[in-house]
Amino acid sequence: MQQQPVRRLLLNMQRAVAAPTRNPRLAVVLGRLLATAFLICFATGLYSHFLQQPLPWMRFPTWPANLYQVTQGIHITAGIACFPLIFGKLYTVFPNLFQTPPVTGLKGLLERGSIALFVGASLVEIVIGLLNTYQFYPWPFGFRETHFALSFVIIGSLAIHIGVKLPIIATYWRKRDGYAPTLVQTAEELSLVDAPLIDAVPPVLQGAPGVRQAAGLTGRLLRWIDSTPSLDEGAPAVVAPAEVALAVVALAEAAPVEPAPVEAAPVETDGIDPDLRSLEPEPRPRASASRRAFLITIGASAAAVVLLTAGQSFAFLRPFNVFAPREKGIGPNQLPINRTAAAAQVTKTAVDPNWVLTVSNGSRSQTFSRASLLALPQTTVDLPISCVEGWSQMATWTGVRLQSLVAMVGASPDSALRLMSLEKEGGYRVTQMGSEYVSDPTTLVALTLNGETLDIDHGFPARMIAPGRPGVLQTKWLSSLEVTS
Amino acid sequence: MTDPRLSEPQIAVSPGMARVRALLIGVGAAGLALGAVVLFVLQSPMAILGVVAWLLGAIILHDAVLSPIVLGVSVLARRAGRKVSRTVLLIIQGAVIVGAILTLLVVPEIYAKTLGPAPTVLPFDYVLRLALMWLALIVVTAAVCAVYLRRARRRQANGMPVS
Repeated sequence: MQQQPVRRLLLNMQRAVAAPTRNPRLAVVLGRLLATAFLICFATGLYSHFLQQPLPWMRFPTWPANLYQVTQGIHITAGIACFPLIFGKLYTVFPNLFQTPPVTGLKGLLERGSIALFVGASLVEIVIGLLNTYQFYPWPFGFRETHFALSFVIIGSLAIHIGVKLPIIATYWRKRDGYAPTLVQTAEELSLVDAPLIDAVPPVLQGAPGVRQAAGLTGRLLRWIDSTPSLDEGAPAVVAPAEVALAVVALAEAAPVEPAPVEAAPVETDGIDPDLRSLEPEPRPRASASRRAFLITIGASAAAVVLLTAGQSFAFLRPFNVFAPREKGIGPNQLPINRTAAAAQVTKTAVDPNWVLTVSNGSRSQTFSRASLLALPQTTVDLPISCVEGWSQMATWTGVRLQSLVAMVGASPDSALRLMSLEKEGGYRVTQMGSEYVSDPTTLVALTLNGETLDIDHGFPARMIAPGRPGVLQTKWLSSLEVTS
Repeated sequence: MTDPRLSEPQIAVSPGMARVRALLIGVGAAGLALGAVVLFVLQSPMAILGVVAWLLGAIILHDAVLSPIVLGVSVLARRAGRKVSRTVLLIIQGAVIVGAILTLLVVPEIYAKTLGPAPTVLPFDYVLRLALMWLALIVVTAAVCAVYLRRARRRQANGMPVS
């Protein structure tokens, strides 16, 4: 029995990390919340992805105009809320890390492998997503591509994980079915845990001062912990692990072949919480207080991270915006900037007096200076800038209806366009605009913002503004519009 | 080994559940395959190696660094927990976790701000705000503990159980 150091270590670790807050019921509670957050992020993320890279047949709603503001605000906020939820979830299942034997057969290997992939992909996904909102990219791969690919890995692993754990999820879905034992170890396992660290000190050493048989690792640790007298009234003076072990051994002896049914039977015959039957060292009120405190802590953490950052996306939370990477209402024209004119290398071309906007439809084309655009009928609309990084802000824009510009080159109002910017480089220098945006009467080639001339960092001399689109597609420093269909 | 595993009691799987299970695992496997294909199509082999390194790094960071630290702190807290009221300890533990998670989110912001982003990106003084957050957290925690202890004393004086 003493020849199983790895198994013994794992069993010791299980014992050391067992706690009333680490049980299947709480894993189910947090798992539900985390799965919901993941699915929300996946759905809103796919929407954002296809807005930016639509498949040919795709059309998108232009109403409500702030639809993307809401979906992407939810995407980022739910992603931030995943941090406390995933830490809490991993905390509740921590003892599973020390399961022994570590792997049982191919099925077990696949199961553990899929969980490792699930955990790794989830952590990487939320971390790179968060850092992207800080415009901080300390990794050697493309953000958008990897964030997109990992989302399928996560949702796939989630489905597998739910499939594998379905019986546990079903069993602990409702609170009245209890929390499951904190720790289930068989008599044989317990005896291994509590066995002396060193089997037998060689006789020649036994007489030496300070040499004695060391007790089990966890036992010694817990004794050290519990050797301080408790302050709380009503708490047992000292719950020595040895007593617990004896009790569990006694239980195991009562059902020596298969102790599991005793532990797993969810039937409450005596009104006692099932977790009491596991003979956990924590008395019931304490275990219940621990669980309550744990859930309150995770809830408070999620509330704190959401409350202190979501003000970048949702105006009503703006007073609580303490830690978000953006703030509403700052910057030129009272609107934040993601990409400056300097970063886009347009500081000269954008203020060139010879700048014109070229609108073309096949062989037919027309050019407009800023003065001639200002001479056309002007329309004022309230539309938000909604960034893929989650921040957004409503603003008032004035300019020329895109419809009328397109009509001036003889194209129908439901044409699709290719937009080009003065930008020297970047993934959004040339973008496509679907006909649903071209035909929308609120889509403008904007010339003023919040009553002032468009700042160069906001796209002077002219920029696009359309309802329900990501900020990166609201092309700044426009140079040409080309009818494509 | 047929022993029941920790927290995994043997639960009977009905035929209906088995079908749902097979469906979920099938859909999940398809999702995994799609993710892998997307990654391979969109990224260079070197970038894919980078993704793999980050996945492994995340698991190692969580399982081998973060979890042992949390375990160590909770062991110490359990010992301290016998000297102070248990509820007070739970309140303090909760506050430390809330603060630690916020700190985890804000520290990269502090670093990213030193890289010189656009003026309206990372506009705040995050160091100051983080320090003020901890100060506020300490004040709130102390207040909650004080209220709890007062109520507990009053309950005790009235012969009511302390919960």
